[in-house]
Amino acid sequence: MDNSRFIDFALPLIPALPLAAAILTALVGPWVARLGARWQALLATPVIAALAASCLLSLQLVYKVDFEQRDLAAGTASEIHTGYERVVTLWTWADVSSAYELKDPVKQDQTDLDVKRLPGKVYPLDFDLGLKDLQIAVALRADALTAMMLGMVTFVSTLVAIFAAGYMAGDRGYWRFFAYIGLFVFSMTMLVSVSNFVLLYVFWEAVGVCSYLLIGFWYEKPAAAAAGMKAFLVNRVGDFGFAIALFLIWTTYGSLNFHDTLANGSTDQEAIEQVVAARQSDADAAPGNSGVVRGVLGKSRLVRNDYVAGPIAVWICLLLLLGACGKSAQFPLHVWLPDAMEGPTPVSALIHAATMVTAGVYMVARCSPLFAAAPEAQLMVAVIGAFTALLAGLIALTQYDLKRVLAYSTVSQLGYMFLALGTGLFAGVTGGMFHLFTHAFFKALLFLGAGSVMHAMGGVIDMRRFGGLRRLMPYTYATFLIGCLALSGIFPLAGFWSKDSILGAVHDKVHQLDHVIEGRHDPHIGEHRESAALVQSFASLTEGQLTAYRGIYQILYYSALFTAFLTAFYAFRAFCLTFHGEEQIPDEAGHHAHESPPVMVVPLAILAVCAAAAGIWAMGSENFAGGIRHWGENNFSDFLSHTPSLAAGGLANTIPATHEFHLSVAGLSTLVALAGMGLALYLYMGERSEVSLLERLFKLEGAQKLADPQWIAQLERVGWIGVVTRTLRGAGLGFLVTLVGLILGVVSLILALPLLLLSYITPHKLSANKFYFDEIYDVLFVTPLRWLSLFFYWIDRWLVDGLVNFTASVPPAIGSLMRGLQGGLVQFYAVAMVLGVLILIAARLLLAAG
Amino acid sequence: MNETSLLFNYLSVGAILFALGLVGFLVRRNMILMFLCAEMMLQGVSVSLIGWGRYHADWGGQMLVIFMITVAACEAGIGLALILMLAQRTGKLDSTVWQDLREEGLPAYVDREVPEERAEEQVWPTLTPAGRRPEIDLEELSHRSRV
Repeated sequence: MDNSRFIDFALPLIPALPLAAAILTALVGPWVARLGARWQALLATPVIAALAASCLLSLQLVYKVDFEQRDLAAGTASEIHTGYERVVTLWTWADVSSAYELKDPVKQDQTDLDVKRLPGKVYPLDFDLGLKDLQIAVALRADALTAMMLGMVTFVSTLVAIFAAGYMAGDRGYWRFFAYIGLFVFSMTMLVSVSNFVLLYVFWEAVGVCSYLLIGFWYEKPAAAAAGMKAFLVNRVGDFGFAIALFLIWTTYGSLNFHDTLANGSTDQEAIEQVVAARQSDADAAPGNSGVVRGVLGKSRLVRNDYVAGPIAVWICLLLLLGACGKSAQFPLHVWLPDAMEGPTPVSALIHAATMVTAGVYMVARCSPLFAAAPEAQLMVAVIGAFTALLAGLIALTQYDLKRVLAYSTVSQLGYMFLALGTGLFAGVTGGMFHLFTHAFFKALLFLGAGSVMHAMGGVIDMRRFGGLRRLMPYTYATFLIGCLALSGIFPLAGFWSKDSILGAVHDKVHQLDHVIEGRHDPHIGEHRESAALVQSFASLTEGQLTAYRGIYQILYYSALFTAFLTAFYAFRAFCLTFHGEEQIPDEAGHHAHESPPVMVVPLAILAVCAAAAGIWAMGSENFAGGIRHWGENNFSDFLSHTPSLAAGGLANTIPATHEFHLSVAGLSTLVALAGMGLALYLYMGERSEVSLLERLFKLEGAQKLADPQWIAQLERVGWIGVVTRTLRGAGLGFLVTLVGLILGVVSLILALPLLLLSYITPHKLSANKFYFDEIYDVLFVTPLRWLSLFFYWIDRWLVDGLVNFTASVPPAIGSLMRGLQGGLVQFYAVAMVLGVLILIAARLLLAAG
Repeated sequence: MNETSLLFNYLSVGAILFALGLVGFLVRRNMILMFLCAEMMLQGVSVSLIGWGRYHADWGGQMLVIFMITVAACEAGIGLALILMLAQRTGKLDSTVWQDLREEGLPAYVDREVPEERAEEQVWPTLTPAGRRPEIDLEELSHRSRV
């Protein structure tokens, strides 16, 4: 089977297999579950088998795509490299383009999709040309970005499913769990492989629904049900932004497809290029229009970098960002992710590593040409990312729930990815995706490790209640350690490489902006084509803005470095609290606290190997031979560089000609990470006295003492003060002592108020209470909305329903007047009939007489 | 006799039959009698239809009457069967027994109780006995009920 045919065949099959397995499990699940616990274990097999098959197909797909795109790159001698994509159209879901054609008065010729322009009218964009397309084809695409996401999603999902087969054993909803998992993976694989914004939105929602189902999997537990609801509702806010962004994209670009299509629906790239080229040369006949429906991220648009700039672009990107923030738990909408810990632990691993939260990052990376056209939105992405990273890192410091630490760590790492995407550099986008890739491995590893601990501890996850598990659970201990090292970014584990590429990208961005500022003053800039293009791409910004941007990115760089320190610290804090110190096992675990069964340990081991080696593998092991200078030659970003969105368009001119490994950046980040790790080890490894000192420091105990009147009264007992007061009293100057005491009392009273306030917002409390985000949202949004909905409830109840009920009560009221006539006696009815007939006759006679 | 007076006769008989039937239907409570009264009304209409048919020299009237007789026969079959079933249920032919289809909450129509006359209160006129006391066969008295 040649590569193209394999891609056409594998691409629909990868999502279809999990879906089929989910349907099968849902159909036979209730029947098999009744047969008893021994049969129940069978229910996991269809989903696991389907996921494994999808995984194999995906890995093969990665290989084929890689081969194809190398082939393509080698074959095209032209300087403009447009990347590789292959679109498989399954069927057309909706098609209203014909309706538009008929209505369009501009349309001259119905058979040919050619459009004549009206004279004297300005046509700035395609959408005025009458070819406003709303043809939603169920089209899947294969390109580097999709292939990489597919491989990552299916690989991690398979391991999580295998782990869950052991973890969920004996649960009443065993079959339900695996059906949901299959559905979840189906939605996610579809999300990353569709080639249309509407379908992206559909599966975006499907992922949300699946997460709702899985977070609230133990729906009888109120906290779980509430957490599922919260995740769904918070995501709804983001989805609202995403939907508006889609409307804006459609009105601006006239299409929602990613890819170009010919008027007849064909996606054959060569034919499209021919038509586009023909129209280009014949520009006067039908300028701008090409008979091709140009996709938003299509090659014909990318090559010409034909993207709208200005406020509309900024709005599109900000709304897309809002959607991504919801799905990927970024700052304003990050509150749902930690609560999602109420779901079973494998679900957390799945949500945090493979599915769901990566959707936002993927979407922003996919739309990076749109973001490249709006530097303001790009800056916003970077700021939100860095801020979220810092915020979540600070919160993670003081959490005692192991899973919650990991949850905030995910939020923080996702912030890193957004920071990288927000640089708007090729290196940034690939760095962000690289971090997504490595993060999937080590975060899945950490979560599954936490699940293993939770499994052994009888469901207890509070780190204060267990400790010193390293002897009890040696495999979990070892794999968790690898996960923590990878998360902290210690050389040579996966996290090191990806975190470094992100920091390097932010570093590059500062340099790029420097370059632009210099270039503006350079009179010879025109001689250097690339630099001129670079300067040109920032033409919309004034010099003051550029300087401000440079400053902001500089701050973001240092904030990211500090976050790296925090990451290492909280990772090793959790690690030490769980596995070191005195052995302590909660009562819930009983006497059978034990290492997890092989079905759970094996996925851990595989993930640990990946977390350790993925970075080196992706960087390209052959590069190590070339020495440190060649380390920047990143196989991963080479692979992604063939994605059309990255290969052409706004990002294309930021692809570095030579790879540079930022030794200074890498060294600095490693030092910072080692410092955090060392501090955590020092504080939490043995005695806990240093911790309490640190805690007292951050609880501002000294400041609070000042507000305490008792403390002032006790001052007199202190030796030298006592001597002074006694001497003064002896000398008959007792009033002086009273005066000083009074002054101190007044001062302390004045101080008391802010200090009392301060005692509620000490750094420690802020962190432990998650910066009170839940409470603030509760006051700002939830309570007003609840009042508002109560108000509307009453309006509905009394005004709307009242009107309806009133209308409905009129006929019975009239009817009740006649009710007495219905006596049930036949004779009475007969009399009534006769009387009626008589009245009719009389009326007739009278009328005839009149 | 001209056609108009002939028609008048027909119509008179028809109207009389109809009126008798109507009155009978309204005043009688025996279901069989009510049914017969209804039949009588039908016959009254039939007679007047025949009269009109003849007056207009048109077969339509007679055709309708034959049709009506057929329908009335069917109706008689169904009606009598229903009456039979109702009578078997309660052992009564009184139409007021069946008044369950009245509006909820309305009191049922109840016949006013006619107070039963008791034997003790009966005051018979007494005459002065005259002549010989008649022989009364006690044996026969025990068999015969009071007349």
